[in-house]
Amino acid sequence: MSALAEILFGGLFQGSLYAMMAVGLALVWTTIGVFNFSHGVFMMLGAYIAWQLVELGLPAAVAFPVAVVVMAGVGWILQASVVRPLIGRPNIVLVVVITTLAAGSLIENGALTIWGPRSKQIPALIAGNTTIGGVGVSLHQIAIIVITPLILAALWMFLNRTRLGLALRAVAQNEDASHLVGLNVTALYGLAFAIAASLAGLAGIFMGGYRFMSPVMGSDPLLKALIVVVFGGISSISGPIFAAYLIGFFEAACSYYFGLYWTPALLFGVLILTLMVRPEGIFASRSRGLA
Amino acid sequence: MTDTTSPMTLSHAEAATPIAPGRTPWKHEAIGFVLGFALLALLPLIFGDTYARHILIMAFIYAIVASNWDLSLGYGGVFNFGHLALFGIGVYAYSLLTKLAAFDPWVALFASGVIATLAAILVTIPILRLKGIYIILVTFGFAQLVMQVIISQSAITGGTQGLVRIPGLYVFDHNMVRDGKSAYFYIALALLVASTLFLRVFVRSRAGASIVALRDNEEYAISRGVSIVRQRMLTLAASAFFTGIAGAFYAAYQRNASIDVFGMSLATIILSMVLLGGTSTIYGAIIASFVLTIFAEWMADFGAWRPMITAVLIIGVMLAYPSGLVGMIKASWGALAGRLKRPA
Repeated sequence: MSALAEILFGGLFQGSLYAMMAVGLALVWTTIGVFNFSHGVFMMLGAYIAWQLVELGLPAAVAFPVAVVVMAGVGWILQASVVRPLIGRPNIVLVVVITTLAAGSLIENGALTIWGPRSKQIPALIAGNTTIGGVGVSLHQIAIIVITPLILAALWMFLNRTRLGLALRAVAQNEDASHLVGLNVTALYGLAFAIAASLAGLAGIFMGGYRFMSPVMGSDPLLKALIVVVFGGISSISGPIFAAYLIGFFEAACSYYFGLYWTPALLFGVLILTLMVRPEGIFASRSRGLA
Repeated sequence: MTDTTSPMTLSHAEAATPIAPGRTPWKHEAIGFVLGFALLALLPLIFGDTYARHILIMAFIYAIVASNWDLSLGYGGVFNFGHLALFGIGVYAYSLLTKLAAFDPWVALFASGVIATLAAILVTIPILRLKGIYIILVTFGFAQLVMQVIISQSAITGGTQGLVRIPGLYVFDHNMVRDGKSAYFYIALALLVASTLFLRVFVRSRAGASIVALRDNEEYAISRGVSIVRQRMLTLAASAFFTGIAGAFYAAYQRNASIDVFGMSLATIILSMVLLGGTSTIYGAIIASFVLTIFAEWMADFGAWRPMITAVLIIGVMLAYPSGLVGMIKASWGALAGRLKRPA
């Protein structure tokens, strides 16, 4: 019983974090057609900004939303400076990899210079612990498990039920036609990056609440988000969400039965096999489009 | 060195045909090649101290890795993000062969190149059907898989601790330690010459033309009888051999191996060398390796600011000169030549 509860809980918790990260990556990929390698750094920066605001004396309820909004601005600026000028170039996919990696390195080292290498922690969403099914869990983790699906549902509503969200999906499906019907494609590109960055920032705040933060804290989640996105199919929002939880459970089960060392190797093995059989991802339809 | 070699043009239409008029005649290139590397061979006369030579040796190793990456990434258009894993495989193959199997260092050096080539063929199998971003992800996954296997097999590989006291190379009875690194300098240079010669001959050959054709117009190339399976395997395998040897040399030179070679930071540095130099030139990657390595040393006083300055410069060059340093050199050379011609 306790084994099952542990895997279930671990899977839900990790899956929530992966989903928050992967959705942003998928959003940027579908709208702009590039991979944002500074996504992990967004996560780190969100956490550090939140920490700084709390340190300045703001209550967490104010500091966290402010940090998320600031991250949206950071995403917009990054898009305008290192992605937008390259749009239309033949080798954009490759060049954006290097410019976003370089921008990530800039932000990471900037954070290291400003905040130093010492580990920090931000307050949990809800303090305290409890026991469910024989497994001790913190209320912070339960809060994450509950909040994440709500945020993802809100994102889904935004993409499917609002004019702006529909415009974003239109750009993802057909950029030329979007230009023709008068959509501001440049602004929508910025919006995709802004949403992705604020989701990553929120994931960083979640993570900073239960684990020590460091300037390199984003690199491992970025890697996991990449796997999730490949696994679930790059061309949708729902695919990566399902895949995030699936991989969360897979990891929880693996580390329970095979140990922590073998989990990443097994995960990458499964990933490569998936791509050999279904290159477009297991949950993907064959067309490129959002939601 | 740069103006004598005048690398071939970046234009895809011209690059696709082996005897297009815009290409540098092979005689000109041979003269530039010999002159350029002869200049490099004279450098120890100027730089007597061990530290300067160490920097040059590291630049040579990076140049081999970056220029071989340019073969698969630039010419082949295969977004192989596992290239550094091939380097890492070279490092660990050499270390384990010499330490555990007591191979002769030179035999182990060559064997590491072969093992890296086999690994490259293995990684080609899952990406044969894939395109673009998916290739990035699978090869990235492959690199992580290799790293995780090395970490988990810590009884043999040393895991995250790495390996130390790896046997170095030898040249007869020559003392490799007390010669101011000149033996290692010339071995590294010889490897770079061999690798560059191999790469340039390869890209100028029919096989080289066919992989460029696959990159630029896959359907047409296939319809003209170019096999994507065979050529993609050939590209990856060809780019792996000297990469593996460079890894082995790195292990022999440093006398230790660690999983840092699989890390993102090294991959980012080498990738910026390839892109900063300008893809599909081979020489561009080599020039950028020298520029970046020496630049990084030159800025050592800036401490924490160094990676930030480097990042800003990389972004700046990529935004201003999409074809990299080679494009920048060509543009300024063209402007200079135009100015010199005008008065006449």
